[in-house]
Parts: sequence; C-alpha cells; structure tokens
Amino acid sequence: MSSQLVPLNAEGVSIVPRVENGMLQVKVAGAVEMREPGDVLNPYWIALDEEALRRHITRVEVDLRDLNFMNSSGILTLVRWITRAKGHAAGAGYTLVLKYDRNVTWQRTSVPTLAKLAPNVVVAAEIDG
Amino acid sequence: MMMEKVATDYVELRFGPRWTYISSVRKFVANFFMIGLADKERAECISMAASELLENAVKYASEDEGYLKITIAKGEHEVDVCVKNKAEPHHINTLRRELALIHAGQPEQVYLRKMEEAAMTEGQSRLGLARIRYEARAQLRLEVNDGEVSIHAIFDLEQA
Repeated sequence: MSSQLVPLNAEGVSIVPRVENGMLQVKVAGAVEMREPGDVLNPYWIALDEEALRRHITRVEVDLRDLNFMNSSGILTLVRWITRAKGHAAGAGYTLVLKYDRNVTWQRTSVPTLAKLAPNVVVAAEIDG
Repeated sequence: MMMEKVATDYVELRFGPRWTYISSVRKFVANFFMIGLADKERAECISMAASELLENAVKYASEDEGYLKITIAKGEHEVDVCVKNKAEPHHINTLRRELALIHAGQPEQVYLRKMEEAAMTEGQSRLGLARIRYEARAQLRLEVNDGEVSIHAIFDLEQA
C-alpha cells in the first residue's frame, strides 16, 4: 500500500513522506544544491502526486522548515509539481500546503512566490521556527 | 614592497569550475557578511546571489580556460558581488538575451513568468538571475571583455 511513499535520501537532501489522518505529510530536510536536482526530485514529486490522487488525499503538506537552502534548479522542481497539481480536475486534486519558517531567508522569499503560481491550489503556511 | 590597501569587507576567490565548491563558497560568504553587515537576511541574500551566479558560471564556463573568480566588495552604500569567467561567444549571447528579458518587466512579474515558462520546457531552469533580481532585490549588470564575462549583482545597502 505504501510502496509509493518511500523516503528519499540524495546528495544532501532527505525527504520523508507519510500519511496521517488522511493527509499526506512530506518532510524535507538538508539542502538542495545539486547540479541537476530535477533528475532526482521531478520523478519523486510525480510519484507523490500520483499516490495522493490514488488515495484520494485532499491535502498534501510539504514541510520545508528544515531545508536550509534550495537553488533555483531545485525551485523549478517545485514549480513543476505546482503546475502538475494545478492541472488536476476540480474536485479530483488536492491542496498543496508549503510550510516554511519565516526566519529562514530563502524560505521567506521563495515560498510565498511559489504560492502565487497557483493561488487556488497552493497555500504558503508561514511558521515561526 | 607596496601592498594594495584592501577594504575591510572584501572577499576574492579564484578556483576551477567545480560544482562541489559552490556550496562551500555560499556558506563562507554568508558567514563572512553576517559579521561585516550584522544583517542575517542581507548576508543570506548576498550568499544566495553568489551561489546562483557561480552555478551559472560553472554551467557555461569555457572548457578550455576553466576558472572562476568571485569578488564581493562592500562599499559605503552598496555591496557588489561579481563573478568572472571565460565563456564561449554563444553562451555570452545567450546571457545578453537573458538579461534583456529579465530587465523587461517588474522583478516579480518577470520571475513568475520565467517560472511558468521553465515549467513547460525541459533543460536548465534559467531562473537564477530573475531570482536574484526579485528575491534579493539586486541590480544585475553584465560586462564582457575579450571573452571574459563579468556579471555583477549589486545590493543597495540603503534600501530597506
């Protein structure tokens, strides 16, 4: 059942997904500084997206608070996920919540910008610490 | 022997175009300018810009004359992050076009548009310069001299 929800550890970043109370929670930690993060992250986000749809999950929370840096190529992988989530039919998709720490500069500047790409689908949730 | 006087808050590094060095430089620059500026957010914006410029330079550096030079100088009113490297003419032309596109609109609009375009295409993100201009609120300037590219990200210290 949880075959598509396996953790990822790659070049300084770790991602742990789990389903709790009908919600998919994804904890991301470390730093995304690799040269081609899309090689690893794009297929991983797609797998999470497909699993959320398969389980009829309506809320996916991505906790970025322990991710201390993300380069622009890494940000593009989130843009691709958001674009994919935005394309799901109304009622068939999920709300994507990006949790970030307002005390971490890259998160405070990048995450609200990402949410503007799809305001009906993405919520930037600011947390202090 | 005469020694050139160096400003207090000044960093100059020269190294081969290896991706694995970029993370170390980013962390060093953040720590260095956290001392010099006593402003964590500004220091992290400067280090982010340095990292993005270095990533571009490593991707597009000339294979024949591989080196990168980064200088970061704090003046009275601004901090200038400059990354210099040799590049092939077609990469320089691409960079000129990129900068022209990035300067053809408000920083946030341009950044969001670049994100949407990048999501629809394969390959490099090309978001780095737009990110620097919008998120770090830096001015970008390009200089080319005999195949050597210098790209500056300039931070106005008087800007809130």
